[in-house]
Amino acid sequence: MAAEITKAQVDEIFPTVAKTIADALGCELDEVKRDASLIEDLGAESIDFLDLVFRLERAFKVKIPRGKIVEDARGDLPEAEFEQKGVVTEAGLARLRQFLAEVPADRFKAPLKATDIPRLFTAETFAKLVLRARAEQPAA
Amino acid sequence: MNDKRRVAITGVGVVTPAGNDVESMWARLNSARSCGAPITTFDASGFSTRIAAEVRGADALPLTGDRKLLKFGNRSHRFALVAAEQAMADAGVAPTARDRHRWGCVVGTGMMTVSFDELASVQANAAPEGELDAAKVLDEATSNDPMAFCRSQSTAGVSLLTKRFGIAGYASSVHTACASGGQAIGTALRAIRRGAVDRALAGGFDSMVSPVGLAGFCLLSAVSADNDAPERASRPFDATRNGFLLGEGAGFVVLEEWGAAVARGARIYAELAGDGNSLSSYRITDSHPSGDGPIQAMQRALRDAGAAPSDVDYLNAHGTSTPMNDRSEAAAAAVVFGADVGNVAVSSTKSVMGHLIAAAGAVEAVVCALAIQRSSLPPNANLRDVDPDCAHLDIVRDAPRERRVRVALSNSLGFGGSNSCLAFRHPDDTRALVEAGR
Repeated sequence: MAAEITKAQVDEIFPTVAKTIADALGCELDEVKRDASLIEDLGAESIDFLDLVFRLERAFKVKIPRGKIVEDARGDLPEAEFEQKGVVTEAGLARLRQFLAEVPADRFKAPLKATDIPRLFTAETFAKLVLRARAEQPAA
Repeated sequence: MNDKRRVAITGVGVVTPAGNDVESMWARLNSARSCGAPITTFDASGFSTRIAAEVRGADALPLTGDRKLLKFGNRSHRFALVAAEQAMADAGVAPTARDRHRWGCVVGTGMMTVSFDELASVQANAAPEGELDAAKVLDEATSNDPMAFCRSQSTAGVSLLTKRFGIAGYASSVHTACASGGQAIGTALRAIRRGAVDRALAGGFDSMVSPVGLAGFCLLSAVSADNDAPERASRPFDATRNGFLLGEGAGFVVLEEWGAAVARGARIYAELAGDGNSLSSYRITDSHPSGDGPIQAMQRALRDAGAAPSDVDYLNAHGTSTPMNDRSEAAAAAVVFGADVGNVAVSSTKSVMGHLIAAAGAVEAVVCALAIQRSSLPPNANLRDVDPDCAHLDIVRDAPRERRVRVALSNSLGFGGSNSCLAFRHPDDTRALVEAGR
């Protein structure tokens, strides 16, 4: 697992991440607050996440596997213990709270359907995604 | 009484080389000044034809205010959004939560799906030597861009429009080359008549002013190569004509079931009275010299409208300015109108705005609606020496002609042999028919 992500690292790349989000979602740059939920606050739909990841890959010249946020959040927890019948388990929710520390705590509400996890993702979530992908990328 | 559902045209919108709204286009058509000019949107210096009629401006953002929607669209989709926005605003009616399932949308879609830039990117990065390298495809920008995939689907246009306006009743995409726009409007007419919906947004859009689009038409010798006189290149029915002028754009109409339009006090341009289609089944890119194909389309449109050939005052011809089309279409008119052919005023507005391909029939439907509403027929530009084979036509030359139009016809004849003819009736005449219980 990569080293802890620092606030300074997020600060450094956030302007580019925010601009990329604004372009992908067709919204104003000043709407892209760090804790803005892309779905709830900025109106993102599923295909926008694919588009956004594609744009982030180009902007930062990194490879970002699709589904990486949830995969990384689940970590070594077996899938059957992370979600059951489409609902995130207690253990899974704990992992998400810890991993998505940038998401305000009151937005985690049980029961949480696995398909609703992306509703939690904020602009900062994507900045952290870029930083993790960059750290894990094999040196050229 | 009969239970036939009649259909009114209550809104119109256009994006054309002759203007990006109805009034600008109408003024330009009446000026009889062609829009042919050297191509500016890409370097055409290596092509045998280096001229076209291009759309200038037509920014969809100020009208739609929806930046995200635009990322799903290419150039022709943006034209479609602008023209459709105008048509809906002009009609002054829009789907509501209560009636959106009673609205339809039918479009004639452009021929080109993948843009030239995207094709070029895949070729340059994933097939630099000509053979596709599968490993490189995975790293290639366009192949990995989900938006490129969305934009290049032939359903992209209808998806954008139904999303934009919240239309939820019925949709279809028609692609029959140059007949697309006319057949789309005819398909919407039939959807309203059979009761599937009560209102529809219908039209067409296209942009083939691109290296791939132009190259194909150059290879077929379908486009005029009068590069030194682009404003004269499109001259339908002239003895010296030598090909069409490639245009681009979009046209849309709002169609409403007659009673519904009357009930809300809508301004009615014309009745969309008839839809006639036929197939030539002759050759892929040739029209039958006898006019076979267009003859049946025109006869069926008239029969569908309950009109006689002698009721027709105006024919907006397909009139592409290719040697073959205009001769075949003139022959078809002679058969359909018989002894009355000299009483039908004819013009091809492609003489001014060029050939808008899948959008042509839709924009020309708007022209017919305006001709009826204004009792004014737009001229056929650039006609100096009439082709002897077309001499039996009464062509509106050089300047608009004032004339009340009882019935207008619009022909759209496509490569591949699809023929469309739409019939339009003066709304006062339709009111009289309705009052008489017909």
